[in-house]
Amino acid sequence: MRNSQKVLAVMTAVMTLTGLAACGNAGNAGNAGDADKAELVFWGWDTGHTMSDLIKDFQKANPGITVKFNNTGTASDTQTALSNAIAAGKGAPDVVMLEDPTVTQFAVTGDLVDLSQFGADKLADDFSAGPWNKLQYNGKPYALPIDSGPEMFFYNDAVFKKAGVDGTQIKTWDDYYEAAKKVRAIGSYMTNNSGSSMEYQPFTAQAWQAGAQPWKVDGENLTIDMTKDAGMKKYIEFQQKLIDEDLIDTKTANWSDDWNRELNDGTIASLTIGGWMPVNLMNGAPDQAGNWRVAQLPQWEEGDEASAEDGGSALAVVSQSKQQAAAYKFVEYLTHGEGAKTMADTGTFPSLKSILTSDDFTDPTTEANKKVNDYFGGQNVNEVLSEAAQRKVSEFSYLPYNPFAQSSFGDQISKAYNKEITLEEAFANYGKALAEHGTQQGYTVSNKG
Amino acid sequence: MTQAASNVAAPLHTPVEQVRVNRHRADWRGWKFVWPFALVFVFVFVIPIMYAVYISFFQQRMIGGTRFVGFDNYARLLHDRQFWSAVGRVALFTVVQVPVMLFLAAAMALALDSMKLHGTRFFRISTFLPYAVPAVVSTLIWGFMYGAKYGLVGSFNGFFGTHLDVLAPGVLLASIGNIVTWEFTGYNMLIFYSSLSTIPHSLYEAASIDGASEWQIVRAIKLPELRGSLAITVIFSIIGSFQLFNEPSIMQNMVPGNAISTYYTPNMYAYNLSFSGNQSNYAAALAIAMAVITMAIAYVVQLRSMKEQMR
Repeated sequence: MRNSQKVLAVMTAVMTLTGLAACGNAGNAGNAGDADKAELVFWGWDTGHTMSDLIKDFQKANPGITVKFNNTGTASDTQTALSNAIAAGKGAPDVVMLEDPTVTQFAVTGDLVDLSQFGADKLADDFSAGPWNKLQYNGKPYALPIDSGPEMFFYNDAVFKKAGVDGTQIKTWDDYYEAAKKVRAIGSYMTNNSGSSMEYQPFTAQAWQAGAQPWKVDGENLTIDMTKDAGMKKYIEFQQKLIDEDLIDTKTANWSDDWNRELNDGTIASLTIGGWMPVNLMNGAPDQAGNWRVAQLPQWEEGDEASAEDGGSALAVVSQSKQQAAAYKFVEYLTHGEGAKTMADTGTFPSLKSILTSDDFTDPTTEANKKVNDYFGGQNVNEVLSEAAQRKVSEFSYLPYNPFAQSSFGDQISKAYNKEITLEEAFANYGKALAEHGTQQGYTVSNKG
Repeated sequence: MTQAASNVAAPLHTPVEQVRVNRHRADWRGWKFVWPFALVFVFVFVIPIMYAVYISFFQQRMIGGTRFVGFDNYARLLHDRQFWSAVGRVALFTVVQVPVMLFLAAAMALALDSMKLHGTRFFRISTFLPYAVPAVVSTLIWGFMYGAKYGLVGSFNGFFGTHLDVLAPGVLLASIGNIVTWEFTGYNMLIFYSSLSTIPHSLYEAASIDGASEWQIVRAIKLPELRGSLAITVIFSIIGSFQLFNEPSIMQNMVPGNAISTYYTPNMYAYNLSFSGNQSNYAAALAIAMAVITMAIAYVVQLRSMKEQMR
């Protein structure tokens, strides 16, 4: 009896201690550390193979700080690894690279640091509005953007000419629809959309451009409105028209093998996708060199200049870190400081206004620009992209469980593109699935339909 | 033979106490040999399963953290339509694909064993070869052949003016079944073939002296011999097809549209629940439930085949 009481007492003591330790982890106070002396661990991916040079430059400028880069491969692997480290309570990096829409997911649970304590909120005007807005949670920045992806309209001018369409005159989605009919008449498709999870990003971008707010996040309260929202209505109605009149290829998903082949042989005549697409087109559709063009997104109202974001990644400081001040220094260097310039020079599409508006960025004589412009028939591609990146964007928030929203999108929405149900029904089902998941995750969800 | 028998018999003549001591010692000696295995077994097998069972009683939420929920995850599983549609799909797959594959494998094994074919070695190795190709690679190969626009099927369509699409949602499961059959027929054939080759040749000689035809030899000698290995192959195949994962998840981005959903098979559903749905506890419950279902089916099959063998 006495023994078991002792055991109980010890267990209570241990549990209290772990409880206290957990509290210590959750709070940020006292984790700032020395801003000039630290050994940082940084997780991310390195598509441009420039990270080791960037880190060397940073360490030269900040002699007290060393950065250990851990290449986590892809965005989803990084996110999985971070989730695991957070669940384990230790082992998370100081700085982490995340895809923009997943930042709020970690901000909600308190696993990322509010960067305004280091003055990041004052940088708002230095970044393009699109990427900046995506990284706010409760009005505070939880990450700084590395790059951006303004949604653009890419079209194959050779196919358009054959169909008797002047790509430069497509200003509105109505023009787009009329052009789609002409393109279909010669056997090609205006674009592809199969409603798979690969088309989730273009969906959010186009709905966003239509001013839709399908998701609203207010702390623990979520509002989901997939079909009644005015912007969503516009988007659904337009897409349904394209499906019904067989104007788009509903069999081919983005990033599939067929997709590249159809871009390469002219079956798919245009794309609305992020401004990072040129290099993918050059690799995926080499036979169409000289034929592709880029233009601003068609508008819902004539004369508007609404834009939206598709893709993009950002750097955040993890709450587990005990060296948050130094970690922020590194984040600032890569996104806002010298490092951002280096990254832009090596192919990252920048989110800093100062780079976007610089003469270097749009200079057609630099080697990198010349290569891209040649593929685009001599067009000054970066000039068009730069204009798009500086256009206004409306307010838009992703769900805090964005990866689920993406995978579930394919399950629900593809049924409409397969003509089993209407797109409105599909989006209503999608809203239900999202609401159910939100409730399971502990949110208070109101689903308006 | 006689010497071994006398060795075993010897202790019977020793006093009773000594026997007891001997037995006691033998117990401990046995454990010493077993511990390296037991250690690995506990670490890589018992502990992970216990852990999966343990976490299946919790729920982790973005708001509210982790909490104990008892059997809630299992209760939710009972009403989860996506889960049962996945189970139904692999069950249908099993019922059709396994008999076809095993029939082909048995026919091939009998043909190779008939000793009336030329180049049996070549056929034996070439039918087994697909099993040595990684499932990822063979799925990619088949996926490219299946393509109705740019694949072999596409070329066929272009040549004959047909509109075949073997990746259409209605026939997709059959197309996946074809890949799995291609992969595993050789493996099962080898199991059948090896059990056929254990039949002593004297039986065949006796049969032919009695004037039995080749068909009678197959029916009276070979098929009964195959029954034992049939139980093994059936159980392996059922387990394999209930765990279907590689083929559909690789083909997900090769089929038109989104014909392969995130809950196409139970394993894919578990994978997506834990990696994009942030619900690894529920996925653990699903995995345990699937293990129980698979074990139950395998047990019933084994029970039946044992009864048949008794007869």
